[in-house]
Amino acid sequence: MAVDKSVIGKSTGRRRVVVERGPVAVFADAVKDTDPVYRDAGAAAAAGHTALPVPPTFPFSMAHWGAFADIQPDEDDDASAGMGAMGQVLGPLLAKGGLLLHGEQEFEYSSPVRVGDVLMGEGRIADVYEKVSGNATMTFVVTEMTWKHDETGETAVIARSNTLVRTSNPPT
Amino acid sequence: MGERVQFDEVKVGDEAPVKSHVLTRTDLVKYAGASGDFNPMHHDEVLATSAGQPSVFGHGMFSMGFLGTALTDWVGAGRVVRYGVRFSRQTWPGETLVTRVVVTGVREDAGSRLVDVDCSLANAQGEQKVIGTATLAV
Repeated sequence: MAVDKSVIGKSTGRRRVVVERGPVAVFADAVKDTDPVYRDAGAAAAAGHTALPVPPTFPFSMAHWGAFADIQPDEDDDASAGMGAMGQVLGPLLAKGGLLLHGEQEFEYSSPVRVGDVLMGEGRIADVYEKVSGNATMTFVVTEMTWKHDETGETAVIARSNTLVRTSNPPT
Repeated sequence: MGERVQFDEVKVGDEAPVKSHVLTRTDLVKYAGASGDFNPMHHDEVLATSAGQPSVFGHGMFSMGFLGTALTDWVGAGRVVRYGVRFSRQTWPGETLVTRVVVTGVREDAGSRLVDVDCSLANAQGEQKVIGTATLAV
């Protein structure tokens, strides 16, 4: 079955988030990071930070903590089309009992993320492809979330996720 | 943490200090709460075993986060320019997870002093859990 490439480039939506101190400290604890710069403004300043920094993988969880309803942009139709398109690719595979896996993750920083920042994230589907190996087919969807500083429009970090669904091939 | 590494002292082949941690179920619950990833395979032993798993297992993003801590312990917070990994194996409670960070390049680019590394997380038997690369501004 050929994979539907028409979804490449489609938007997966916009989220505005606020980065707060408590979640950053809780997250640092959870990834075994005891650095005081994530908890103590004095330590952060002494290390040259203008505000408390965040651990490098924190952007993956920013929307969980900081995407409050009252700061969201107006819903755009394009976004729901994008999410629908992702469901269109992965939905039928999951319905067939496919196993959903997080294959790869990447963060590319252009400027720091700090406590107090308000960031706007814009998601899109960057790629869709398929690999057949033996009796399994793996369908990959690469999504890209670009987080920009809301006030300046400057890019902070791009988070790329490669999600895959593994399905068994029917016997030939 | 201690003192962060200085650019002039970094050479290709150098390794960052190793971090090692025995994964517990409490770690999984803490990471679930901190990240918002409440996939029950990571905290509900009854559901995980009935789905055919030997036990609950760790979040891939916990592995990436813990390996990220090895990077920032070495160069300092806020100095990761790029960090990417591939998730290759599940992690299990009771496993000792060990970081490895090896310098593959030292360069200056538009006034930035950059260190490229290969990085990975493995258990005590050497089974690789995540494998990746990073670029650090040192």
